[in-house]
Amino acid sequence: MMPSNRTPRVDVAALAVGLGLLAASAMLFLDTAGMTVTAVYGIGPKAMPYAVGGGLALLGLLHLLAAVRDGLPRPDPMDAASVAWMISGLAGLIACVAFGFGFILAAAVAFTATARAFGRRALLADGALGLGMGLGIYLIFTKLLTLTLPQGPLERLF
Amino acid sequence: MIETFAALSQGFLIALTPANLLFALVGVLLGTAVGVLPGIGPALTVALLLPVTFKLDPAGSLIMFAGIYYGGMYGGSTTSILINAPGESASMITALEGNRMAKAGRGGPALATAAIGSFVAGTIATVGLALFAPQLVEVAIGFGPADYFALMVLAFVTVSATFGASPLRGMTSLFLGLFLGLVGIDSLTGQTRLTFGVPELVDGIEITTLAVGLFAVGEALHVASRRLHATDELVPVRGSLWMSREDWRRSWKPWLRGSLLGFPIGALPAGGAEIPTFLSYAVERRLTKHPDQFGQGAIEGVAGPEAANNASAAGTLMPLLTLGLPTSATAAIMLAGFQQYGLNPGPLLFVERPDLVWGLIASLFVANAMLLVLNLPLVGLWVRMLAIPQPWLYAGILVFSAMGTVATNPSPVELAMLLVFGLLGFGMRRFDYPIAPMIVGLILGPLAEAQLRRALAMSLGDPTVLVGSPVAVVLLALAAVALLAPLLFRGLARFQAAED
Amino acid sequence: MSFRTSVRRVALAAGLALAAMPGAALAQMELKITAPAGPGGGWDAAARSMQQALTGAGLARSVQVTNVTGAGGTIGLAQFVNTARGDGSQLLVNGITMVGAILTNKAPVGLDRVTPIARLTADPLVIVVPKASPHQTVQDLAAAIRAEPGKVVWAGGSAGGADHILAALFAQAAGADASKINYIPFSGGGEALAAMLGGHVTAGVSGYGEFESQIKSGRLRALALSSPERLAGAEVPTLKEQGMNVEVVNWRAVVAAPDISAEQKQALTAVVDKMVKTPQWTEILKARGWSDAYLSGDGFAAFLTAERERVADVLRTVGLVK
Repeated sequence: MMPSNRTPRVDVAALAVGLGLLAASAMLFLDTAGMTVTAVYGIGPKAMPYAVGGGLALLGLLHLLAAVRDGLPRPDPMDAASVAWMISGLAGLIACVAFGFGFILAAAVAFTATARAFGRRALLADGALGLGMGLGIYLIFTKLLTLTLPQGPLERLF
Repeated sequence: MIETFAALSQGFLIALTPANLLFALVGVLLGTAVGVLPGIGPALTVALLLPVTFKLDPAGSLIMFAGIYYGGMYGGSTTSILINAPGESASMITALEGNRMAKAGRGGPALATAAIGSFVAGTIATVGLALFAPQLVEVAIGFGPADYFALMVLAFVTVSATFGASPLRGMTSLFLGLFLGLVGIDSLTGQTRLTFGVPELVDGIEITTLAVGLFAVGEALHVASRRLHATDELVPVRGSLWMSREDWRRSWKPWLRGSLLGFPIGALPAGGAEIPTFLSYAVERRLTKHPDQFGQGAIEGVAGPEAANNASAAGTLMPLLTLGLPTSATAAIMLAGFQQYGLNPGPLLFVERPDLVWGLIASLFVANAMLLVLNLPLVGLWVRMLAIPQPWLYAGILVFSAMGTVATNPSPVELAMLLVFGLLGFGMRRFDYPIAPMIVGLILGPLAEAQLRRALAMSLGDPTVLVGSPVAVVLLALAAVALLAPLLFRGLARFQAAED
Repeated sequence: MSFRTSVRRVALAAGLALAAMPGAALAQMELKITAPAGPGGGWDAAARSMQQALTGAGLARSVQVTNVTGAGGTIGLAQFVNTARGDGSQLLVNGITMVGAILTNKAPVGLDRVTPIARLTADPLVIVVPKASPHQTVQDLAAAIRAEPGKVVWAGGSAGGADHILAALFAQAAGADASKINYIPFSGGGEALAAMLGGHVTAGVSGYGEFESQIKSGRLRALALSSPERLAGAEVPTLKEQGMNVEVVNWRAVVAAPDISAEQKQALTAVVDKMVKTPQWTEILKARGWSDAYLSGDGFAAFLTAERERVADVLRTVGLVK
């Protein structure tokens, strides 16, 4: 960080991290306060959470301090569309598994969306590639390793 | 000593029969093939392939087993290096420098130093196993909770080696890891912490989910986000595919040091494979002549931890064979492998079935050598994987990451955690937070807490127990040195600079 | 087939070869057995052994084993209760550990929701001391615990599990305050054993099978078994023989889904009844070292209720449940 980057403005990223750490610390203290079982000998189950919570609070305050001083390193500008494509790909994968569409479709969705995030536009070709990859993994897992992957309509064909 | 060699050569006679050599080869092949899948570490590999060995006679089965075990371990480091997705927690440290090397076109030397380092460490540790098992194991079980706690304090101190540019961000990463480590059942009282009524959280955060999320998914997001602004060109091979003379010179000492750290700690009943890799990384970072390369792809940071990882695996076999103590997930499954033939590892096994025990130890040597022969030619092939066009490479990495997560636990909640950790890893990369301390915190936090509380419960709350044994005192002193030495050196350097 | 595929399924091939053997008798049932733990553990072994025996003897056309790992079996239980309601072809394996885990994890679903079918096995626990321990008999240990309960450090399995319950009941029977016992839970088979062998604890509790080779090699001294009767092949007296009125066994059982009809319950009971009489089952018990403790019908229902009450009592006493 160059000293010339010191601006009177508050560094939003550092502020957000600081507040997040304080929130995590508060959550930990609240959760720990609700614990009822104690240890008969030695130190109890609350000591470690309180120590970690205290540490998080301290780090949160230090981040707040950093927010008005140096701030965090400024990252490169973000290609938001790419990131959004990848996140929706992963979300689609989770939805496919959660709602019973099976692993092969889930893999195809994630594969296509990620390839799109990296600039590919041949969605159909990538979809086919993703399906093939999902199918290959599925067959290896179920037929060779006898691990069960999430089932869906496609999986029942094999 | 003489009897040991006689018994060992007897073992080699068994291991080197054509049939058993074939079993070892098949085991190594299968183990590498399955172990290379991210999220599937050696324990699951061995569990999955155990049924394959059912049909063989005990000797053949155990020999194949040894092959699968070593193959699975080596496969795990391959994914760490190539696609930044550690197959298991013990090869996480390998990913730190190894993946950097792969990105810079030095994947070949990284894979080679991992393979040769594993071979060297495996061989040294197996010699140790053959010669000193009964004596060392007595020392190992003497380790009490206070000693373990001291060992973990030492490991915690050395994590600062992974902090990078800013201690504040490093500590933040570490404490977030400790925070995540608190999630789940408190092992000493059985009550849950930070689970918020989600049953999937009761058993805690899966280390591989966190590691694969932070490393592989976070990395993919990061690269995608900078696609238009930066040119992170992936070059499969830059310079030599093979290790240069310089690489050899920089690797051999880390191999030896890694072995010396890994073997004894692996032999401890609660030592594990992660702590020696942390320690080895910290040691290499401190001793290297190229400190500027650490974090950018230093070969020492691959050679040392990989050797430590493999040596600790052989160390784990020591309590298993001599006492019947399964001290790791893999060892527990190997115990099941023995028991399917009605064999109980332990002191009696050496007397009752020396042919099996020494056959197994000999086949560890054989499997180790075979792994090297098999994998060095494959290095070129593996590295070519990085030549896959970027969109498909990262799409494939993502699908493989999801697959590894689903394989260990097929639940949408686990996949959602993978996404959350991926986003976390992305954010940490953007703002230059180091990733490794977080995983160290997740692994070491719960272990250190449990050992500390056990030690204090056993002493009825008397804290002097923590310095009550010579081992604990030595380890704590080492931790103090590790903590203070950099400050001293820095002061000294400043002093010298002022002199100049 | 349910569309809720939040099922955690990791099925291993172990036993599949046997499962494929043609049955001798006419098999009509297609069963699904949930093992609420990962592959390799005791519940998984029980489920897969049932699979072997049922298909091997031709009592069922097919048996599918599903593993649902996590949280002492309570995740598997919750999922079973939610997805198998009224399904007369599904079974769930459980045991004493689940009874404790439900209470300590504050699980939303309890064992009152399932339909009891039968208890299958009950393995004795053993109380051991290190070779060099001054305690030669159970009475020595009882006296030590009476004098100062905190100074007797116990090593065993997870908090609130069968081992912990035995340690607490032992202290109670010895006339000590059970809420003051110093029980250190260890995860994984090896760690507790290492603590015993290293002499870091006073006494240890575990399944007899896990300590057997150490007992036979003389590195651990077995003081007592927790079962009602002695175990064949083991020269270890029971607690009852030695005047301690304590009995805890690590039992495994099968239960069926909620809201099944009386006929469905009868059919499932009948098939399990037949299974335990097959030579295949006898063989499995022998190979695994499990003690037969078959109990079905109202007897098992009453046993399950009694165990739930007893475990809840003990866990309250030792302070794990408030």
